[in-house]
Formats: sequence, C-alpha cells, structure tokens
Amino acid sequence: MLERNISELKLKSPLILASGILGVSYSTMKRLVDVGIGAVTTKSIGPKPRKGYKNPSIIEVNQGTFLNSVGLGNPGIDNFITEIKEIKKFKFPLIVSVFGNSIESYLEVALKAEQAGADAIEINISCPHAEVSSIGIDKQLTFSIVKSMKKELNAPLFVKLNPNVTNIGEIALAAQNGGADAVVAINTLAAMVVDINTKRPILSHGSGGLSGKAIHSIAVKKVYDLYKILEIPIIGCGGASNWQDVIEFILVGASAVQIGTVLYQGFDIITDIINGLKKYLKDNDYSSISELKGLAHEFKTQEVPDFD
Amino acid sequence: MTKNMIETVKIKSIIEECDGVKTFAFERNSTVIPKPGQFVMIWVPGVDEIPMSISSYNENGEWAITIKKAGDCTNSIHKLKVGDYIGVRGPLGNFFQVPQEKKKNTFLIGGGIGMAPLRFLASELIKMGYNFKVIEGAKVKNEVLFVNEFLEYQKENLEFHFCTDDGSYGEKGFAPEFFEHLIENFTKKDLKDSVVFTCGPEIMLHKILQICIEKEVEMYASLERIMRCGCGLCGLCVLDPLGLLVCNDGPVFNSHMLAEIEDFGKFKRDFSGKKTSI
Repeated sequence: MLERNISELKLKSPLILASGILGVSYSTMKRLVDVGIGAVTTKSIGPKPRKGYKNPSIIEVNQGTFLNSVGLGNPGIDNFITEIKEIKKFKFPLIVSVFGNSIESYLEVALKAEQAGADAIEINISCPHAEVSSIGIDKQLTFSIVKSMKKELNAPLFVKLNPNVTNIGEIALAAQNGGADAVVAINTLAAMVVDINTKRPILSHGSGGLSGKAIHSIAVKKVYDLYKILEIPIIGCGGASNWQDVIEFILVGASAVQIGTVLYQGFDIITDIINGLKKYLKDNDYSSISELKGLAHEFKTQEVPDFD
Repeated sequence: MTKNMIETVKIKSIIEECDGVKTFAFERNSTVIPKPGQFVMIWVPGVDEIPMSISSYNENGEWAITIKKAGDCTNSIHKLKVGDYIGVRGPLGNFFQVPQEKKKNTFLIGGGIGMAPLRFLASELIKMGYNFKVIEGAKVKNEVLFVNEFLEYQKENLEFHFCTDDGSYGEKGFAPEFFEHLIENFTKKDLKDSVVFTCGPEIMLHKILQICIEKEVEMYASLERIMRCGCGLCGLCVLDPLGLLVCNDGPVFNSHMLAEIEDFGKFKRDFSGKKTSI
C-alpha cells in the first residue's frame, strides 16, 4: 500500500529521513526504519572531519519551526565508512548525502560511500549557511557536477535543491540534463533571528537555514512547479509534520517525502504518520499511495484575475 | 515560547559553592515547572551553548544551575555578573522517576559536579517526605559540594556520607566502594526495597551499575553527552547500539537500559559526530 520505488531503491514507505537530522549513527537510523521510515539519508558527509559552527546552532524559532547553522559538521567519509557498513547489515535503503569543496572532492566522497555500500548518493549543493550553496545557485555548475559524478558512479544520484534562488526550475533542469536520477526539493531557507535583550543574532554563525512547519507551504509550491517541468522523480522535503503534509506533497507530484524537523517530537511521530497514510488510503479507496501522485495538477487554476 | 526556544534572562544571584564551582539563579517568563534530572541548554551570548542540569527550582519560580569551570564556555559563565543575560532553553529530557511506593532505602550517589541534579532531587524528596541517604564523592576537600546545605538537612534524620579520593574530607575512597560497603549486609528483601539515583563521571556510574546488577538493585543514572539541539534532531548524543538519544530518551536511564548500551562508560561522539573514547 505504501511501497514506493525511487530509481532503483525499493522503499517500504514513502518516508525518507532527511539529511542533517539524526543521520550520524547507524543505530538511530535503524530505529527510524523500525518505526516505518522507508529509507534514510545520512548527515552530509565531506572529505574530512569537520566540527561545523559552534552553538547555538539548532533552535526553535516558532512552534515546529527551527533555525539551524550546523555548518556541515560531520566525521569525514573515512570515519563514516564504519557507520555505513553497520547500516548495511540491516538491509534497508541507504542514501549518503555528500559534499566537498570541488567536483573532485565531491566525487571522492561519493565513490568511497558507494564502495562502502550506499544505495544512492544525494549531493548537497544547497546548504544555505555553508560554502557549497554556491554550486546550487548556478545552473552551469550544477550541470557540470552532476554530469561528472554520473560518469563515475553506479549508484543513483539525487540532487538536493537550494530554494534560495530566483528560478529553482532552471537549476532542477540543469540537474536533470546532467543525468540526475531525482531531485530533492527543498533545502532550508536562509533566515535569522535576533535576541531583543542582548540585541545580537542568536546563532553563532548569525544566520542559518529555516526548516519545519513554516516552510512546508513554500516547499509544496516548489514541488508543484517542478512537477510541471521535470521528467525525473521529485522527493518532497520541507516541514512535513504529519500525514496530511505527506499526502499534500504527493498530490503536487512528489514520489516520496523526506521527514526531518518534526522528529523533535520523537520517533513515534513516524508511526502516527504511517497509520494516518494507511487510513486515508483505505477511507478513500486507494490501493496504493502512488495513485495519488500529481492529482492536484488535474485541477485548472485561475490564471487571469477577474476584473469588474 | 516553547521549551526549545531561547529565552534570555538576567542572572539574579551567583553563589560560589567551592573552588571552581558557582551556582547561578534566574527567573523565567516561562511558567513551566522543571523536574529533578531535567536539563537546560545555557547560552552564553557570543560564546557557546551547552547542556546543564538544573540544580534547584523553588515555588517562587527561581531556577538554578551549578556550573564547574571545565572549558571555554563554563569559564565564560564564571566571569558573568548578576544582571548579565544568559539564554535558556528547557526544561529538556526526562527526569528521575521516584517510585510511587516509598522504598526503604533510597540512595543518591553523586560524583563531583554530578551532585547538581541530585541536589534538586534531594530537595524534592524532602518535600515528598522521603527518607534517603546521600553518598557524595569528590577528589579533594575543597571540591565537596553543598556541604552546608546537606548538613542542614541532616537534622531531619537523613544520612549524608562524604568521601574524597585523598581522604581530605569524610572517608578516603570512592563513592561506588562506599555504596557497596553500605549495602554489604543487606538481605535480599532489603536490596529489593532499595533504589539508587546517580550522576557523575561515567566510569563511576559504570561501577555503580555493576554493583546494582550483581545485587539486583533498581538504579537510575543521569548521563551527559555533547549536544547541538537538546531536542532529538542533531543525533550527537546517540547511545549505540540502541539508538537512544540522551536529550530526548534521557538523560536518565534505568539499569536495564544501561546494561544494553555498549557506549556506556566507553564512547561518546564529538562535535563532528565522530566516536571517541570517554
């Protein structure tokens, strides 16, 4: 009922752990699969260990909406290989998110991850508070990195898109033309908060990326627009906090949905979402969630406003 | 205001507890009531934000944290004055589950700054009319915490035992050994009617766990790990192989869980997520 295939990946549910949330240890990722997650995406892994920005680096700014500037903190691919091997013992689809400081270093990390057992590679070219965002705002650079990596990799390649651009569509098309197997839309939105008592930005880095509730409707609009122009699958990402949000993403054209920020509520939220999805399908006489994909596009929307 | 949002508050009072340890009190707009064992994320503006156990809370809504100078952030906190701002998020995590039915023997075993959450627990247990025994371990005499406060409680027929590594205050030796000595003549029934709440260096907690498993004593320990979020997102406080998170599933874990946690007493994650020895 909830099974989905994305490229070569077979998912038992359309829910994928989003990169940057809990993707440090094999054990938490296994726990997420045990409660219903269909595939996991690791924290973005780079060529060497990196501590990232100091705290505060993850805070809530409104109920269910978080701001973070982790700054791509990660143990480095050579340390992370042990974790990948542990995960592979459990036989669930593993997507390793990678970044680098050049096409060569992206590729180096991705190849090591693939060799260790990654089922797919997601490239992070869009983290709004780190240097890699420069690739994700340029269609030519996006095309080049995807093309170069596809040439060397056997595993499917997903591209996580930066929403902090004027035209996300042209970047997505560049990724598709480069040979990407899917796009993930969207990464966090650049944002900041200032404490009025101390009068200073709260995050150590000053600004960060907004995730959670507040960005969900923005993400839905991006997926809706991308579905009209792309042929490759779109993985929806952005503030999905309950089963209704997941259905909404699928109706606008997402093939699967990433879950991240809402996990602050605990692992049980996944079980709630899975149960909600099943009940919705049953109540509406659908035998598979794939039947819902893109249905929102069947409705004509008003293009020209009414005039007196 | 949710518990994961930063609230900046003015430091209301600072008490020097002993060499390198100060207690900072503050009031919050948030009306949420913390429980012993819970923690807060403390932001020192411009420096860092770190997890800290709550060391007291009173009916007037005054919270306190007791901090030992141990690194850049704690050194900076020690330089703050009354009236300076700090940021607070919380209360976070679970808390010490006090058995509904009063146990005959309740032990609070703390090592060093690990006494902070146990001090909050002690004051709550007194309010609940609980009898308990405190075993406090410290390296040397001038690092023994909350002595005067505990001696005040002693009038209420509560037992306090102090031990130092060098014998400069109280007994000479370590808290786990002293605990083992206290229960050595306990009958099976006495052991079943005992509960341990502990916090301190993980090596100490590990020794206490071994004793509690062997003697079949119920035990709860509060653990510490590096965290970014304090609320189940960053994953740095993971405990392998169970995938438990110290922030959301803990910081307090019972002996059954601790026995299954291979990282316990051995490994933690650093700020990059890399596994390192404790």
